[in-house]
Amino acid sequence: MSRAEADRLRQRLNNELQRLTLDECVKCTICEQSCPVAGVTALFSGPKFVGPQAERFRHGASVDLSVDYCSSCGTCTVVCPQGVHVAELNSLARAVLKAERGVPLRDRLITRTTLMGRAMTPVAPVANAVLDNRLARTALEKVVGVHADAPMPTAHPEPLRAWLKRRPAPTRTPTRGPVVFFHGCAGGYFEVEAARCAIEVLEHLGFEVLVPEQGCCGLAEQSNGLFEQATASVRKLVAQLRAPATGVPIVSTAGSCGGMLKHEAHEILGLDDPGLLDVGARTRDISEFLLELHDAGELPLDFARIDLRLPYHQPCQVRSQGIGVPAAELLRLIPGLEVVESDATCCGIAGTYGLKREKYAIAQAVGRPLFELVAATHQGLVACDTETCRWQIAKATGVRTVHPIQFVHQAYGLGRVIAPSAVR
Amino acid sequence: MRDVVVIGAGLAGLTAALRLARAGRSVTLVARGVGGLSLAQGTIDILGYTPERVLRPLDAVAAVPPEHPYAGLGPDAVAAAVTWLRDELGSELLVGDPAVNLHLPTALGALRPTALAQPSMVAADARGGLTYAVVGVRQLKDFPADLVAGNLARSTAPDGGPLGATAAWVDLPARPGEADPSGLTYARSLDDAAFADRFAVAVRDAAGAGDVVLLPGVLGVRPGAGRRLAELIGRPVAEVPLLPPSVPGLRLADALRARVAAAGVRILLGSAVTGFTADGDRVATVTVAAAGGPRALAASDFVYAPGGFESGALAVDSRGAIAETVFGLPLTAADAAGLVGPRYWAPHPLFEVGVRTDAAGRPVAGDKVVHPNLYVAGGILAGPEPWREKSGDGIAVATAVRAAAMIEGGAR
Ligand SMILES: Cc1cc2nc3c(=O)[nH]c(=O)nc-3n(C[C@H](O)[C@H](O)[C@H](O)COP(=O)(O)OP(=O)(O)OC[C@H]3O[C@@H](n4cnc5c(N)ncnc54)[C@H](O)[C@@H]3O)c2cc1C
Ligand code: SF4
Ligand code: SF4
Repeated sequence: MSRAEADRLRQRLNNELQRLTLDECVKCTICEQSCPVAGVTALFSGPKFVGPQAERFRHGASVDLSVDYCSSCGTCTVVCPQGVHVAELNSLARAVLKAERGVPLRDRLITRTTLMGRAMTPVAPVANAVLDNRLARTALEKVVGVHADAPMPTAHPEPLRAWLKRRPAPTRTPTRGPVVFFHGCAGGYFEVEAARCAIEVLEHLGFEVLVPEQGCCGLAEQSNGLFEQATASVRKLVAQLRAPATGVPIVSTAGSCGGMLKHEAHEILGLDDPGLLDVGARTRDISEFLLELHDAGELPLDFARIDLRLPYHQPCQVRSQGIGVPAAELLRLIPGLEVVESDATCCGIAGTYGLKREKYAIAQAVGRPLFELVAATHQGLVACDTETCRWQIAKATGVRTVHPIQFVHQAYGLGRVIAPSAVR
Repeated sequence: MRDVVVIGAGLAGLTAALRLARAGRSVTLVARGVGGLSLAQGTIDILGYTPERVLRPLDAVAAVPPEHPYAGLGPDAVAAAVTWLRDELGSELLVGDPAVNLHLPTALGALRPTALAQPSMVAADARGGLTYAVVGVRQLKDFPADLVAGNLARSTAPDGGPLGATAAWVDLPARPGEADPSGLTYARSLDDAAFADRFAVAVRDAAGAGDVVLLPGVLGVRPGAGRRLAELIGRPVAEVPLLPPSVPGLRLADALRARVAAAGVRILLGSAVTGFTADGDRVATVTVAAAGGPRALAASDFVYAPGGFESGALAVDSRGAIAETVFGLPLTAADAAGLVGPRYWAPHPLFEVGVRTDAAGRPVAGDKVVHPNLYVAGGILAGPEPWREKSGDGIAVATAVRAAAMIEGGAR
């Protein structure tokens, strides 16, 4: 790996349209004001320095190695008033850096999300027990570099596909046409409940829900600089999501992975495949999709009350999709539900960033304002759209953290009630 | 469909969105990025120079030439809009009287006229006989205390009286091991009570003679740190806004953004508007470059508050043609030739180019309204260079309030 790969990536970096955007930088420092990582550590010199500034000097060599501390949260690109693709430049530069210096085994392991899910499912109780075991976690930190206190997912004993096979066929005939459902790796293996709720809500609304066999979107590989693997993953997923039907909406409960399909694979991996662009244009976050129905006057509002004060955090990689905060708007349609929106930029985890031994403390510091908000306002539950962020919030606060769709599911009276964790 | 789409998240766009949402309209605010507010001084200028230094801004507003954006508004509307913003943000953030300019020291030790300022700044308002104890922080390069004190000591207050100043330094790193901390790093540290106490003690022990202790503008990202510091230091304290990243500017921008979000405005940040569709002469939708592809946002009315050349809303191509980039609105000049001055600090008539409007704030071609449901506000308007005249904030707030009022009142 190595030189050749680094050179190939550098080529890509140089040819990227992204790079042209750095000329738009007026050094206004708006991105500096918003970067969650630079705000909590002096180890990272901040988006303006490692982004448009350092990029001018990356002529055959990596400069400003602190780019490795960028978490890829995407905030700098969102706030930049000049349209500079700061986060995208950083991701590319980090990929080159890693290709030059080698990617730690740890970064390869933690990106294999589907594999982990598949491998763990048959032995879920055992795997979960191992991950809960302090000794095992200390060993994992020493050997692999995953911090012993970092959040780890709990494998679900029944993967989504098994449930889809087992459950009785939907009785209602669809009245609204088909949608393709994208659940992401977590929805398939770890956070099966969110995916089930989404499918049942969509069916309740009259959609025919097509759930193709699906792999990983490659986001974790991409943010760890493994561009080849990420490219292969996302291409495979694109083909899978296009298989069942053409032209129908693709509805996602995997908050950040939806962003990978919509724009990151195009803008960071530099993929221009028509299939990817087609999937990107059709992909909607589940809350975005339901809010679009609501705006069109087509969402039934016969919600049962849920009397609860609910902190809600929008993940950075959902915010960067430029869709507003649809989950908060949707949840506010449920009578009794008092949504407390976090204005925290990021929960800290940023995919796999906060798992890493050397970044764990930074990730915790980034998430602190959010954890404090949760502690001050929760009544046993938190809502958040992305799996890894939910694990981070739940681990740091001890409060059960679920996908917003689960409240919609409950409010439509579709059978299950979300059990809150004990209020401390 | 939304009632209103507001384009731009600067002072103008945020003000318009907040006013409309408070009036019960469903509002979507879409912006490529955040606006200039968080980079600015955290004060509200109405009119500072005409080109003489202005003491009573509303009187000067009443006397502007007819092509000035203030001419169509008048001093009462400007005063009402700016007063509304002050009261909306509250006395923790903005104080002052729109009728009277304050004169506050800059980070080079000049005096700058402005109408409203933050409570942490106003103790420095220059009046004859006042003396400043300027205190710099060794690690913070953007506040050269000796230069500031030297220039202030050579200046006269607007009332003609003398000013005095001494300079001193404290040596106090905010984060260990950081070579070049920004003001924001200090502000974040000063939000922490333990560091703020250490800072106060260091300043108290170092400061020279002077009525007011003059500090770099880093007194907490959250408002209120200045008061506590003054108690610990035992003298009135005033902070001076620094180069970006400007902490007082960020305070103002954060507070306004939080109010806009709390008012229920749907905020699409990081998405540029690239075009529009029309229905007859009305704007039907604007096209947003969203993740995944273009989306059309429909609304009854549109407020266009995209700033000027500095935000890319107005652009000059390689042949010198000047254009407004989204709606192709008519501008006061089409060719940049001869509009850029010979020196950096010379006046540049290019920056006076912009959109002209009717009395309701709608762009006009000649005297004909271009789109009856499109209103403009802020930096896109034709008028004198705002940073030279110190009028950009007042124009942004007052024209945004006008746009909101016209939409609420149903201007047709
Ligand atoms: C260096 C400098 C110094 C200045 N100093 C002063 C001063 O001392 N006093 C003073 O009064 N004024 C000053 N000004 C003028 C300042 O521009 C105004 O005061 C005021 O901030 C303008 O606010 P605005 O909301 O109109 O525009 P901005 O703050 O520029 O906001 C524009 C918004 O529109 C968005 N936008 C633009 N195009 C699009 C698009 N196509 N699609 C979506 N969103 C878009 C931008 O992302 C941004 O959110 C200064 C300006 C500059 C550049
Ligand atoms: S926000 Fe954009 S223009 Fe401003 S410094 Fe950062 S990259 Fe440059
Ligand atoms: S992507 Fe996030 S962490 Fe990285 S530089 Fe931008 S704002 Fe900072």
